[in-house]
Amino acid sequence: MELLSTIFQYFLDLGAAVFVPIIMIIAGLCVKMKLKDAISAGITLGVAFVGMNLVVGFMKDAITPVATGMLNSTGLQLDIVDGGWTTMATISWSWPYAFAIFPLQIGINVLMLIFNKTKTFNADLWNVWGKIFIAVIVISLTNNIWIALAIASLQIILELRSGDLHQKTIQSMTGIPGVTCTHRTLFFGCILYPFDCLLKKIPALNKPINIETLRDKIGIFAENHVLGFILGCIFGVIAGYDVGGILNLGIKCACALMLFPMVSKLFMQSLAPISDAVSEFMQKKFAGRELYVGLDWPFMGGINELWIAIIFIIPMIFIDALILPGNNMLPFAGIINFSLAIPALLVTRGNLPRMFILCLIGAPVFLWVGTAIAPYMSELARATGAIELGVNELISNSCINAPVFTYGFGQMFKALTGDFVPLIVAGGWTACWVFYSRYLKKETARLEAEEKAETE
Amino acid sequence: MKKIVVACGSGVATSQTVASKVIKLLKERKVNGVIEAVDMKSLDRTLKDKDIVGYIAITKPYKEYPVPVFNGIAFLTGMGMDKELDKIIEVLK
Repeated sequence: MELLSTIFQYFLDLGAAVFVPIIMIIAGLCVKMKLKDAISAGITLGVAFVGMNLVVGFMKDAITPVATGMLNSTGLQLDIVDGGWTTMATISWSWPYAFAIFPLQIGINVLMLIFNKTKTFNADLWNVWGKIFIAVIVISLTNNIWIALAIASLQIILELRSGDLHQKTIQSMTGIPGVTCTHRTLFFGCILYPFDCLLKKIPALNKPINIETLRDKIGIFAENHVLGFILGCIFGVIAGYDVGGILNLGIKCACALMLFPMVSKLFMQSLAPISDAVSEFMQKKFAGRELYVGLDWPFMGGINELWIAIIFIIPMIFIDALILPGNNMLPFAGIINFSLAIPALLVTRGNLPRMFILCLIGAPVFLWVGTAIAPYMSELARATGAIELGVNELISNSCINAPVFTYGFGQMFKALTGDFVPLIVAGGWTACWVFYSRYLKKETARLEAEEKAETE
Repeated sequence: MKKIVVACGSGVATSQTVASKVIKLLKERKVNGVIEAVDMKSLDRTLKDKDIVGYIAITKPYKEYPVPVFNGIAFLTGMGMDKELDKIIEVLK
């Protein structure tokens, strides 16, 4: 046992870019990949880690002086670097037990299908990282792997339930049958729902708006290179740079935002064979049974309102960051905030005025939770070497999925040391979820009746 | 070389899942072609590339595109996958 833990420690000390690929190759062989393909996938995964490290390092070097400059010129302390969700995923995958979440998710899903507790099969194995993410937050507080796995399991179950509950609504909005969204980002909908109930009572907000062409007109501002350039220039102005400095920072920020997706898709490339093997296994096992296939959110990306809201959120979150008490993060790589826009879209069923107001209400939550979890993610990044950070450097994300759930359930064990806030938040989230579930059930019944009437 | 793009929200996860799957299936059928995951926000700009002969959508397309559009959901759910693959191969030949 002693020897085993020494060997284990030796591998961990090699750093995430080496030990995660080793685990990946073993996992690949377990799902019957050819050795050659498994090694290729493993190396790609290592490259993804090193690549992300390069991009994050580059971004930090460009932005850290801005934060210092802002502190000096305005007194604002925004020293947490916003690495966006791709950075959070990188750090999450570096957790030594990360791959254990695959069998956990599949096992729970199979059991729930066998016992008819769900109609959804979660085929989105990329977002296994979301369960790793909350497990990491739990473990850094409790140091107990079983509690971490229990909270991750809770999230797995809720994602499947959420998939069941949202299916009809999503089908009626996208026109795509047989699929649903199992992404945890939908959890935030229950927090927005009570506000939407009030907004529905204001007649002026409930007129339909024609936005057919708006997306094409303003869409350019959300393209990574353009958005990065604009943000970089604004950073430069706030930090008091000269014109040359401003333009250079603009290009550097454009570069960072363009490179993030290019590098992080390498993670998906290397994980694809495992994800494939699992999907095929499930499709065979439950062939002939009517299932909803749970997917990541982008299949809803054809809805124009979503993009208008996302563009609206960009300046709003930026202004919030400057004026909001309790925020220490300078929004950057996470500023394309799907985590806020998607739940707002589903709750309002695409009503833009109400979406805007809900985004306004929801935005501060993302900055506060991003600030709150920064120490935990930075600690893991340092421990595994997934992202190189200095002793006092902090990294986080301004678009954390399901922020209220993550904060509440990730940190509820703080109650043991006398901080009851996260536990109360977890209770509040649960109450809202029950309330929202009831509404979704009613919606499902209504839409099913409509479907029936149409076919008859 | 003829190229087909798959687009999702940020060109990272869903689009790459579909791209990897299509690449694997094309290999099995011994068809050459480049499949690339891209960002939905930059799709119009990307499609100006003359090498691109098709677009695999994982959404319901909201407008007309200059190239043939394929159903990417089929590759995520496995339903109707072979039919879409045949159409893609037709374009790549």
